[in-house]
Amino acid sequence: MHESLLPVALVNYISLSLVIFLIGVAGVVLRRNPLVMLMSIELMWNAANLLFLTFARVWLNNAGHIFAFLVITVAAAEAAIGLAIVVVVFRARQNVDVDEVAILKG
Amino acid sequence: MSNHIMGVPGSYPILFVIWLVPLLGAVLCWAFGPQLKRFAGVLGSAAIGISFIAALVAWGIATQTSGAQTGAQQPLFTWLQGFDFGLLLDPLSLIWVFIITGVGFLIHLYSVGYMWNDNAVARFFAYLNFFVFAMLTLVLSDNFVGLLVGWGLVGLASYFLIGFWFFKPSAVAAARKAFVINVVGDVGIMFAIFIIVTKAGSIRFADVFANPHALDPWLFWTCVFLFIGAAAKSAQLPLHTWLPDAMEGPTPVSALIHAATMVTAGVYLVARCAPLWSASQDAQTLVGTVGALTALAGALLGLAQWDIKRILAYSTMSQIGYMIMGVGVGAFSAGVAHFFTHAFFKACLFLGSGIIIHELADEQDIRLMGGMRKRTPVAFWAMGAAVLAIIGFPGFAGYFSKDQVIFGALEHGYVWMWAVGLLTAGITAYYMLRLFFVTFLGSYRGEMNPADVGIQTQVAASAATIAHETHEPHAEDHAHAPAWIMAVPVAILGFFSFAAGYIMIGPGSPWAQFFDRSFPHETLPPATISEGVTTGLAVLMLVIGGAIAYQRYATRQALADAPARLKRESETLPAILVRLYYWDDLIELLVVRPSQRLGEFFGRWFDPHFVDGVVREVVLTNRFLGTLVRSFQTGLLRAYALIIVFGAACFAVYYALEGALR
Repeated sequence: MHESLLPVALVNYISLSLVIFLIGVAGVVLRRNPLVMLMSIELMWNAANLLFLTFARVWLNNAGHIFAFLVITVAAAEAAIGLAIVVVVFRARQNVDVDEVAILKG
Repeated sequence: MSNHIMGVPGSYPILFVIWLVPLLGAVLCWAFGPQLKRFAGVLGSAAIGISFIAALVAWGIATQTSGAQTGAQQPLFTWLQGFDFGLLLDPLSLIWVFIITGVGFLIHLYSVGYMWNDNAVARFFAYLNFFVFAMLTLVLSDNFVGLLVGWGLVGLASYFLIGFWFFKPSAVAAARKAFVINVVGDVGIMFAIFIIVTKAGSIRFADVFANPHALDPWLFWTCVFLFIGAAAKSAQLPLHTWLPDAMEGPTPVSALIHAATMVTAGVYLVARCAPLWSASQDAQTLVGTVGALTALAGALLGLAQWDIKRILAYSTMSQIGYMIMGVGVGAFSAGVAHFFTHAFFKACLFLGSGIIIHELADEQDIRLMGGMRKRTPVAFWAMGAAVLAIIGFPGFAGYFSKDQVIFGALEHGYVWMWAVGLLTAGITAYYMLRLFFVTFLGSYRGEMNPADVGIQTQVAASAATIAHETHEPHAEDHAHAPAWIMAVPVAILGFFSFAAGYIMIGPGSPWAQFFDRSFPHETLPPATISEGVTTGLAVLMLVIGGAIAYQRYATRQALADAPARLKRESETLPAILVRLYYWDDLIELLVVRPSQRLGEFFGRWFDPHFVDGVVREVVLTNRFLGTLVRSFQTGLLRAYALIIVFGAACFAVYYALEGALR
């Protein structure tokens, strides 16, 4: 544990990450615009990234960096697919309100 | 003793010709029926003709002897250990092959004329050729399984041909009945094969017969199971009821399958398994008893029939009873000899009656015949010879063989069977001459009111009400085939009805030389009553029966008031004979009704309430669970997201608590 390597206290990093993550969660759960939902997901990814980098520093372990890059890559792919879905849904329905897209209701 | 069944192993291509050419004919008739039309008859007949010629050519190899082995054995293939398949042509199979292909050829030829106006003639000949192939499979097999295959296939062919006119409900019912009863027999043989395979370890006749006592203690039961098969196929008591109903088929079919060949398969089976029967006294008694009773019962039923084909059917049953009695008690040669002569005269009788039925536009009731001597002279003369043969008139074919059977029963120590045989001979003489006189003599009664000759419009009597509503249908235009096509086979068969017996007189005759020696012979104590006395008594019975028939149907006075007499007789026939010993009713009561009840129980209660009930319970349970799970599937993306968040939160709380408590 090398907390002294950080410019500010560790709890600040964790708190910031948690706040960003919860903002992302709120965005996904509360908003009905899929584009905003995708952006909220990005927020959650980045909250996670922040923790990876923080703890990479604290533990002097580069695996955290590598995971951060991995997350960025996956997030990019996810965004591409998510946007593609949004485009297709829009073409089909002229509407992207996620509450309207409920044809899988059992 | 039983070496005759071995056969000399080797390569005999001629056997394949005998065996497979009829199959080829069947396939061609079937495949090219629309193109062949009436030519199918020529093709079918030619196939059987080729087969017959091949059988003649094969005479030499069938009777060849090498050491203790007689005949030709062609191995085919080995299926499993102990299951070697092959063909066997020995003197016994040769007799059957001759009858199947020879008489079969004549009947095919006759059918060309008989089926001239039927629009399914190619189908008819395909079935007929298929039957011949199946029957040859039966008699050419050198093992029990091959025999059973042939056994099943002839049953199938019989089913096809009885139900040939499938638009007649009665024909369909008769076909189904025949098939079901025959399957009872097939199962019997299958059980016998189970025992044989278990005990003897081989299905080949040669291996099994080499040591019959290997089957002990099941030897008797093997014979019983085999005989169940034989009884079903050969219409022996108590499995006889299908045969009269089988007369629904076209008349040539009745002649070929239900008189000359297929129904004698039981005789073949017992004769083939002679070593087994020789080794089991009980089995001999059983089979001989059934044969004798069937001979008598069939003859008695023949007394009360008016349908010409049904009279012949009961006489067939009765004559096969003789054969079974012969081979059953151990007089194998006599039983087979009776098969040989019977094939000719019974085929002749059926084909002759077919000519009459054709001439009278499908009338089958002899009360509406009369005076046919002038209208169908060929049938008159040929059937005359055949009737004399079947009643055993001295000099005609049946005389030689039937007396052998009756005397054989005595020789083997069954005096009561001897007496029954003689009694039956008298009854046979009566009812066959009755048929002959009523049909051919006097004046034609076909234009009379049926009620005047005793025909009730409601034929409620017999279980299968056949006579009137089930005439054989033909196209209405009477573009008849050339008359000789039907006349020539009948004439030839009529000739053999007279002559067939002469090949078995004396020790130097072909019969003694080729066939007789292939059966086991026991040294028997001399019979108490000599063969001469037996013959004399048989002729006496014949004369008595014939005289009564003559008195009742053929005197000048009887012919003059024939309609009144026939009417009176129709009204006074004993009910037990008219209702066929109530046997069909009994089977209806004991087997058919309970089966129907059982079917109803399963169909109306067990299946809907139990089987379906279980299924329905499963369905309901799953539907309930499904409804439960379905309620989570809101289709709302944000709801799913919320559930994920909830799950993630649960993880977070778990790890937080875990960390705090550590």
